[in-house]
Amino acid sequence: MPINLKTPVVESREQRLGTIVGWDGSASELARQSAYARGCGSGEGKGCGQKARRICELEGPFTQGSVCSEMMVENQAGHILDAVLIQHAPIGCGAGQVSYNLRFRNGLAARHKPVQNIHQICTNLTERDMVFGGVAKLEQSVRDAWERHHPKAIFIGTSCATGIIGDDVDGVASAFEAELGIPVIPLHCEGFKSKHWSTGFDAAQHGILRQIVRKNPTRKQDDLVNVINLWGSDVFSPMLANLGLRVNYVVDLASIEDLAQMSEAAATVGFCYTLSSYLAAGLEQEFGVPEIKAPMPYGIAGTDAWLREIGRVTHREDKAEAFIAAEHARIAPRLADLRRRLEGRKGYVATGSAYSHGLICVLRELGIEVNGSLVFHHDPVYDSQDPRQDTLTHLIDTYGDVPHFSVGNRQQYQFYALLQRVKPDFILIRHNGLAPLASRLGIPAIPLGDEHHAVGYQGILNIGESVLNILAHRKFHLDLAAHTKLPYKKWWLEQKDPFALAKRVE
Amino acid sequence: MGTKVIKQIAIYGKGGIGKSTTTSNITAALAEAGYKVMQFGCDPKSDSTNTLRGGDYIPSVLDLLRENARVDAHKAVFEGFAGSYCVEAGGPQPGVGCAGRGIISAFQLLKQQEIFEELDLDIVIFDVLGDVVCGGFAVPVREGIANHVFTISSSDFMAIYAANNLFKGIKTYSDKGGALLGGVIANSINTDFQRAIIDDFVEKTQTQVIEYVPRSLTVTQSELQGKTTIEAAPTSEQAQIYRQLARNIIAHTESKVPSPLDSQELRDWSSDWGRRLIEEETRPRRKARPRRAAALAS
Repeated sequence: MPINLKTPVVESREQRLGTIVGWDGSASELARQSAYARGCGSGEGKGCGQKARRICELEGPFTQGSVCSEMMVENQAGHILDAVLIQHAPIGCGAGQVSYNLRFRNGLAARHKPVQNIHQICTNLTERDMVFGGVAKLEQSVRDAWERHHPKAIFIGTSCATGIIGDDVDGVASAFEAELGIPVIPLHCEGFKSKHWSTGFDAAQHGILRQIVRKNPTRKQDDLVNVINLWGSDVFSPMLANLGLRVNYVVDLASIEDLAQMSEAAATVGFCYTLSSYLAAGLEQEFGVPEIKAPMPYGIAGTDAWLREIGRVTHREDKAEAFIAAEHARIAPRLADLRRRLEGRKGYVATGSAYSHGLICVLRELGIEVNGSLVFHHDPVYDSQDPRQDTLTHLIDTYGDVPHFSVGNRQQYQFYALLQRVKPDFILIRHNGLAPLASRLGIPAIPLGDEHHAVGYQGILNIGESVLNILAHRKFHLDLAAHTKLPYKKWWLEQKDPFALAKRVE
Repeated sequence: MGTKVIKQIAIYGKGGIGKSTTTSNITAALAEAGYKVMQFGCDPKSDSTNTLRGGDYIPSVLDLLRENARVDAHKAVFEGFAGSYCVEAGGPQPGVGCAGRGIISAFQLLKQQEIFEELDLDIVIFDVLGDVVCGGFAVPVREGIANHVFTISSSDFMAIYAANNLFKGIKTYSDKGGALLGGVIANSINTDFQRAIIDDFVEKTQTQVIEYVPRSLTVTQSELQGKTTIEAAPTSEQAQIYRQLARNIIAHTESKVPSPLDSQELRDWSSDWGRRLIEEETRPRRKARPRRAAALAS
């Protein structure tokens, strides 16, 4: 059983999926070692056994920057419209509230919803609470949350501090759930529990599956599809409307009712398996809502396969085929034009794991050369364990190998040599901190703030236009490169291997 | 995989009071009687289950965590006397790290991997170190883990102090779905006077004695062979007492919230007994009458 909802604490990614954060080689070698669709030498992924994948990981001597699982709980549970997230933590963990409030407000505006602030409370644990326990403060914060906001649910995110002193967050949550008559959900997201922040997605989704999703629903909504996403613009509704399907966007910007009704939907999809893996697999396992087992909707082949599988699962094959044919015809002229104009260009993708696989498909569809990519972690398998979701293998089989496919959790010092290896004309990014270094090398970056920009057939054209736009800035970036210098010593800049420090023998 | 409810009990007590000895004998007695039983040692020293395994130390759950990025908790389960299962949570070296967090981590690993269910256990016995010094050591008494807590205490003041502290911990968690108190296992009770002290303490704190266990050379002899008394001296009188204790624990169903004494009450209570002890010392010592625990309601 891949997902265990009996315990309030989620299993970490590395424990469930064998997640790694350091690796360097070709995409095909990573797919082979992952033993997913590539199988364990037999060609059948199922033969590897659940939770069995092990990839030899590169471990660097230090980490220059990263993100915390707790922050992923902030961006999921903290972005639900009618809930409150209590951060049971010292105040430093609350520092992210400012930037997450910005994303929340921007996301609401982009979806044409009333703009509001996040509802987050930090218990502000101090030295005294570390010694004597922080439960009293937590109880006070739950009461404050209730009195101020009268939410439909209260989430309690833990922190490293409370994890170590062993505050009984589960007990407090149970007691208040009985007292207030709303779900009070403990989310165990201590940063030290996992090497990769995406475990925080799973922690939030674990709590939602356990305590929010409606058990034994009395109705089934056969035209409703759960779309697991972040704050992206509304791309899925118009697309799936062609199949006569409605979209239930979760987890960000959703209401508690949106989350509760996930068990009534006809299927679940996501824009990125890194984000959607746990929740989608949990919905299928616990509530029988099928997760779409296909490559993600990026590039023509991926989008075709994804739509066909949705059509099959929701019994709308004809509508899916009609939509696919119409879209192929619609984008063909502009796609041909973009391919002509982008011929000979080289791109580089530095994003989250599964999302990168999709973006490389899109760039290759546009005829852009992609010789390298940096993903911030790698999951050898996803929670469904279904090889049809092996997005890395789909990329390789459809568009060819990526010779320099690197796994590293956003380390600036590695990024220099990674880019030198392939010398791209531009990079695709989604997270902050990577564009300035590329700019100082004369390489412009396309920041995909709207994660749905590249989705589907239109996404191919969108990315093509964005690349043309950013290449028009090339001169500006070359000027930047000519007048700036990098903060690294000559010795490091001369290193050919971005992972040299991880391989260094003293 | 079984759907039955597994009886989970936690046994707490001051260090050196005979906690692991008693727990191992309960485990041995239950295993011998045909129950599928696991003993889960929650002490960083990892020596709770030694006498169930001929004196052998076993690798702990946290030893696995130290050595591997991914832990297969099945590798921490070892077979002991009469088909019992032995697990040690383990922990850091003295003076470093956080033993309380260690217990939390070890518990989570076993629960996430559904070890108890897979083994189709009837009963799990947690043998937990001394005082409830921090949140980590309270994990077994919290919601969803142990159903009943027993504390081992002699008539010594420090052991009773530790038991009273545990009662405070149980009371704290009692309104949040935590485990309640089954009673006190009165250990090293060889005189009427010792029995009287324990009886008075359980009366004041509104609990019960689940069994009186005398100090016995048979236990020491068995332990020196690396065995429980049940294994090494199965026909001894002491083995019969342990078997009776195990039967009482299996039969026990209703636990209660204790009424721990506050600091002043405890001081007054102990000084009162101190005075009576001096009086007692002036009289010749009598041997305790062998009798069953009177307070066994269930």
